[in-house]
Amino acid sequence: MAAVFRAVFGYLFLVFVVRVVGRRPGKQMAPFDYVLIFFLGGLTLTGMVANDRSLTNAFVQIITVALCHFVLTALRRRSNRFAVWMDGTPLVLLRNGQWVEETIRKMNFSRDDILAAMRSNGQRNLHEVHYAVLERSGMITIIPGGEEKGSQ
Amino acid sequence: MTTPARTQSIDDSVPRDRNELSVGEDLDFQRRWWRFEHAVWIVFTVIVALDVAGVFGRGPVAKVHKSTPDGAMNLTYEQFQRFQTPSIISIHFGPNAVRDGKLQLWVSQSVITKAGNQRIIPEPASSELKDQGLLYTWPSGQHPDSADFAVEPASPGIYYFSVRLPALGDEFTERVVVWP
Repeated sequence: MAAVFRAVFGYLFLVFVVRVVGRRPGKQMAPFDYVLIFFLGGLTLTGMVANDRSLTNAFVQIITVALCHFVLTALRRRSNRFAVWMDGTPLVLLRNGQWVEETIRKMNFSRDDILAAMRSNGQRNLHEVHYAVLERSGMITIIPGGEEKGSQ
Repeated sequence: MTTPARTQSIDDSVPRDRNELSVGEDLDFQRRWWRFEHAVWIVFTVIVALDVAGVFGRGPVAKVHKSTPDGAMNLTYEQFQRFQTPSIISIHFGPNAVRDGKLQLWVSQSVITKAGNQRIIPEPASSELKDQGLLYTWPSGQHPDSADFAVEPASPGIYYFSVRLPALGDEFTERVVVWP
């Protein structure tokens, strides 16, 4: 039974910490961000496994974590409010040639992150970008169009 | 024939940014979340500071030193220990702790059951059950300057343990918090 509690606690605590640390997966991840992922995973494992290295423990804990994940995913799908608590909402980072400074600063993003997303989307400069949106997944979506389109 | 998947007409209820982009941004929620995040970082910092201080074990605050007035027994232990993590309860003996050529030390049963005593260094020559505890004896010529109990708490929570020099009646009863 302790193994199940350890797994549930480890999973939920990790979900909480990752939520607090912020959204930077995928293309926006810098090499040092990977250190966080590996470290958190390894450290959580230590507490979850404790001194029980049996196959039974691994089996039970994998199933427990899978079940937790299933429940969270189902709750996220059923309740928009829960989804917002879990992932936040999409956030506008750039609009009609204007940086949304408050959002960029508080999300610990830099303008370089948005420029990287812009280049990866095929735009050559910021005048070709109408909107840059930080999605729930952490990816930055670039809506091309330019200032003149936005000011219509 | 395969039944077609159920469909539903589009209901574009996602809030729009400046009435042009369906983005669903909720800045009021996000501002509340940023304030919550700020509080969480403060709590995390406090937890780390407490850990460095030793409130969760293995630090200066965790260490406790106690001596009897006559100096016959000096006790050192960690008042904050961790579940299934090794720790030492150390007892130093003064010269007056030896009576009739032998050194005797009584410890409460909780040193075995709650503290999870693994071994005693050095090994006593004999041990016997007495007064809901164990009486250890080191005979003449072999009595040590100190006895170390290598413990590994078996469960989280709070436990009390006692150590006593039966010959002198000196006793300590201490409380230990075991973190999960």
